[in-house]
Amino acid sequence: MSKKLYSVLALLLVSAFVLAACGGGGAAGGYKACQVTDVGGIDDKTFNATAWKGVEDAVSTLGIEGKFLESQQQTDYETNINAFLEEGCDIIVTVGFLLGDATYAAADANPDQLFTIVDFPNSDPAKANLVGLLFSTDQAAFLAGYVAAATTQTGKVGTFGGINIPPVTVFMDGFWYGVQYYNQQNGTAVEVLGWNPATQEGLFTGNFESTDDGRAFAESLMDEGADIIMPVAGPVGLGSAAAIQERGNAWIIGVDTDMSVSAPEYADIILTSVLKNMDVAVYSMIEADLNGTFPGGTNFIGTLVNNGVGLAGIDGMSADMQAELQAIIDGINAGTIQTAP
Amino acid sequence: MAATAMPKHIDYISPARQRGMGITFLLIGLLIGVFFAGSIGDGSMTTFVMTPGGSATVLADLVFTTRPALNILATICLGLGAFQLIRGFGRRTNLALSLVAALLIFGFLSWIASGGSLNLAGLLRSMVVRAVPIALGAFAAMLNERAGVVNIAIEGMMLMGAMVGALVGSVSNLWLGLLAAVISGALMALIHGILSIRYKTDQIISSTMLLIFATGMTSFISARFMQKYQYLNNPGIFKTWAIPGLSKIPVIGPMFFEHNLFTYAMFFFVIVLHVALFYTRWGLRLRSVGEHPKAADTLGINVFRTRYMAVILSGMMAGFAGAYFTLGSVGRFDEVMTAGRGFIGLAAMIFGNWTPVGSFGAAVLFGFADSLSAKLGILGVSLPSEFLLMAPYLATMIVLAGVVGRGNMPAADGKPYEKE
Repeated sequence: MSKKLYSVLALLLVSAFVLAACGGGGAAGGYKACQVTDVGGIDDKTFNATAWKGVEDAVSTLGIEGKFLESQQQTDYETNINAFLEEGCDIIVTVGFLLGDATYAAADANPDQLFTIVDFPNSDPAKANLVGLLFSTDQAAFLAGYVAAATTQTGKVGTFGGINIPPVTVFMDGFWYGVQYYNQQNGTAVEVLGWNPATQEGLFTGNFESTDDGRAFAESLMDEGADIIMPVAGPVGLGSAAAIQERGNAWIIGVDTDMSVSAPEYADIILTSVLKNMDVAVYSMIEADLNGTFPGGTNFIGTLVNNGVGLAGIDGMSADMQAELQAIIDGINAGTIQTAP
Repeated sequence: MAATAMPKHIDYISPARQRGMGITFLLIGLLIGVFFAGSIGDGSMTTFVMTPGGSATVLADLVFTTRPALNILATICLGLGAFQLIRGFGRRTNLALSLVAALLIFGFLSWIASGGSLNLAGLLRSMVVRAVPIALGAFAAMLNERAGVVNIAIEGMMLMGAMVGALVGSVSNLWLGLLAAVISGALMALIHGILSIRYKTDQIISSTMLLIFATGMTSFISARFMQKYQYLNNPGIFKTWAIPGLSKIPVIGPMFFEHNLFTYAMFFFVIVLHVALFYTRWGLRLRSVGEHPKAADTLGINVFRTRYMAVILSGMMAGFAGAYFTLGSVGRFDEVMTAGRGFIGLAAMIFGNWTPVGSFGAAVLFGFADSLSAKLGILGVSLPSEFLLMAPYLATMIVLAGVVGRGNMPAADGKPYEKE
């Protein structure tokens, strides 16, 4: 076969790889923050996008330079981290529990490079050049569960996750406990479909990409009578939103970011969103490093108190509901209300 | 004649197979009667909801006491097993096997839904919907391979079709988006055709290249344009269109006659492709090129032209299948959203023995597996969710390997034709 053909093939392949993973930009300010995304992609509108917003905020207000690499599959994690190691980044931000092992290994091998990772604890033993960004999302999801239980017409609410890993299931735990708390306070029997905190098993798509799965799962949950659904699976939830909007008569709860802002086309069916303010956490890490106070060797824990997590749209709810939620927030802060097993 | 291409039915049932089947039936009967029925309380009721959510056709729920029902199912299975061991069903063994499998599934569903409820009609409807991208992908792969060209880039072509469909659909309308998706698939297939027919590249390699290219290209356009400018990624979806009259039939109506364009297209293509491949001159020529291109050439069939035509038709089908994801399901494009459905389509084609009806059947089986695993997750069956996601495929493979047996791959599949 002709040589020419091979070179065309090679060119196509190279262009595919280059196109698949590129991005970045921003003003050159000497300081460089580099983010490696999980497979959902930088524009997943929830998980990776929120973390990237923290870098973007730092770019605009602190005048640093921001770059990102997208992981197309799990084998890209190490490759992308290594690419940034060679680039001379000041801090490498990795987004997602699944990048945990690769990030920890890189932090171990490169003690002079600062790392911060979303959703993975820095422990066993903690590395001095790494900060784990953890979120008590169960607290915010608890509030969402309470609101959902107060809103449902059918007495059933549903949830499903992407993969059965702690950063996903913590939402489902909180949601479940929130519903139970409402039942206990009001003598109702609202049921949660798709999650059982006792066995830690439930409904999972097995991926964070297939929006078609999100649609099918939402339809299945609605078939079983749920009229409020909280998908914890990144962009997959957008498929659920499409199904819910088409069928009507049901609501969706957004996760990670305020869905009525990220996906305004579904505003009419969005009940509320469980906020995991990763942008706040990532920004604060960059700011801390610039100020020379990078808390290496520790974990940052986002809670309702430090605005690391929250519930969207509380202001728009009824005065009664606002008062009830405030009482719950106080209870959680005081440690008198249980939000996770 | 059609018979040559249909899956070979086993005409003679060996005594070993007969005994094996009989014992299997008995074991299934015992499973239902002892394990399922034994593990539930006396008065426990099972409720099967017979109206899928959102459907206008309401049918009363099917409510029954679980244990006696399971005992009846078990008795039937044991009876069938005993008959199989003593007399034998002969040619009708596979029919009996299907019956026992259906009883097993019904028993299993009754068992897990005991003390609660399960939307059976919703499960069946979801099965059909979930089969759509798989079946369309399988048809695309089949058109290729029947003409002797392997294409593992069906997934990539679907992805491209999904992206282009969403993009064009957003700036114009749904129908133009669909057309553009089909054309994009055809163009990618044309590249595959030129590489594998004209330049005789290894077909696996050239289609892998196309697959990687499609993944990168769609992700790039998505990240750079479609996610940034929402008006480029908001094509809407083809609305559900209930067929008047037919959709009012309980259970069957919502299952088959209350869908959007893509599901109806799947039913349409099963029939059209079956007739075209096995009952027309066109189909005979296409198959001859895939089985024995030299003989076809000797008889005056233009092998290259036939293969090009098949490859491009396949690309069009793949583009159409891709459009399902954006224009038929969620109304927006996201990176790698096809999530392996194209590959499952390839598997469905192989399990379906390179025939439209077989591929369709396999796709429906996969669809059932998908929707069942979702139901199990909802019902809170205490099995690891990873196992729930895997089990349906495992079961599908066992069923297909046990019942379908060895496949008849087109003889010249994957071999470039060298004109002498």
